[in-house]
Amino acid sequence: MVRQARSEATRRRIIDSAVDLINEIGYPASGLADIIERAELTKGALYYHFESKEAVATAIIEEGIDTILNAFRSAGGPSSPAMENIVLGLFVIADAIKADAVAQASCRLLRTFGGFNPAAKATYVVLLDHLAERVASAVEQRDLRPDVDAEAIVATLMASMLGAELVSSALADGRDLRRRFALNLEILMPAIVTEESLGYYREFLARQSMRISPSNP
Amino acid sequence: MTEQVDRRADATRLQILQAAAHQFATRPYSQVNLDDILASADVTKGALYFHFRSKHALATAVIEHRAEHGWVEFGQLSTRGRAGLETMIDLAYLIAVSDIGEAEARAGLNLLESIGRFDGLQAKLLDVWVIGFAAMARRAIAEGDVVDRIDPEHAARLLVSMYLGLRQTSNLDEPESYIGDLESLWMLVLPGFANPERLAYFAGFIRRRSALAVKNAIPLRANNL
Repeated sequence: MVRQARSEATRRRIIDSAVDLINEIGYPASGLADIIERAELTKGALYYHFESKEAVATAIIEEGIDTILNAFRSAGGPSSPAMENIVLGLFVIADAIKADAVAQASCRLLRTFGGFNPAAKATYVVLLDHLAERVASAVEQRDLRPDVDAEAIVATLMASMLGAELVSSALADGRDLRRRFALNLEILMPAIVTEESLGYYREFLARQSMRISPSNP
Repeated sequence: MTEQVDRRADATRLQILQAAAHQFATRPYSQVNLDDILASADVTKGALYFHFRSKHALATAVIEHRAEHGWVEFGQLSTRGRAGLETMIDLAYLIAVSDIGEAEARAGLNLLESIGRFDGLQAKLLDVWVIGFAAMARRAIAEGDVVDRIDPEHAARLLVSMYLGLRQTSNLDEPESYIGDLESLWMLVLPGFANPERLAYFAGFIRRRSALAVKNAIPLRANNL
């Protein structure tokens, strides 16, 4: 029991050290030796838990994406309109990335690996599925235009948000992600939201961008 | 061993509470018969009296069981990253939808009215509601959605009273008109405390919730079949 707890603590220390390094100097520059040094562990201890540097990365992706997906899911249920849940969900994701170092590192890793790491690839699929489900409901609820291809809406939303995350991370260390998401949506919404709902969602979006993220009062 | 016995006892208790909720949701307190509860819960009289010494004790437990559940839902709703006034409206619709379609919610509120009045339970539980709504109203004032001359506790008390009154004057078995009445009440009181510049937004917010609530609410009787 004690032993298991200690082993869990060691694994945690490896992940946390790797997360710090990835956020500071990026994945390519972070060698296994650096991770071991930062975690103050032996090589054996690391190899006991992870067979390679990429295995550490995979664990980080999985944990970070879990945080991000939970944030998206927590933003709204069947009692609020799907389009509200989409917009709110994106802002909640922005807050989660800003507040959580593991989530932040997992975004960097997703970019590094793209389709070459199965966990990274699976992540994009899950994100797309979640978004597609909400987009379909929003079309049904007449907030998104039925004459625009739902698949195209999903693809455009996803691509623009991932792009915003990349630019925000590169230029502002991720600090202005909320604002960049808002700018994207402002441009996108007139193309995808129905005429009757556009006024409402413009205001909904303005309210979201005005609000200070809860993690950073 | 004792743990296992405890767990079985808990399961029996829950079974009785659920059966009781169905009875209390569809009939007045005075017409609910313990024998009917026994039959639908499929437990013996001895088991029922082991857990609840009287019909009154059972009814009180139904109220408290629901109140705990409601408190958890309230906690989840208030951490969703929405503004204070939005959360208040969402909560009002959540309560209405569960009141329409869930026996435990309906029974809890029915009983709160009928038996809660005389032993202080009503005052105690409604105070919790008022405190919860008032906290959200305070947030809404800080966010500029509610005007700051309003006393948040008065606003909270008004909204709680409004809902309990609606249960008396409207019909929970007709979801569409019940939700319609809830919407009318909200539209009517909103200008009394909301920032006038944001009224149009909140009118849209409320209308969207009504449409979804009508879709999501499954009336209790249909639910039972």
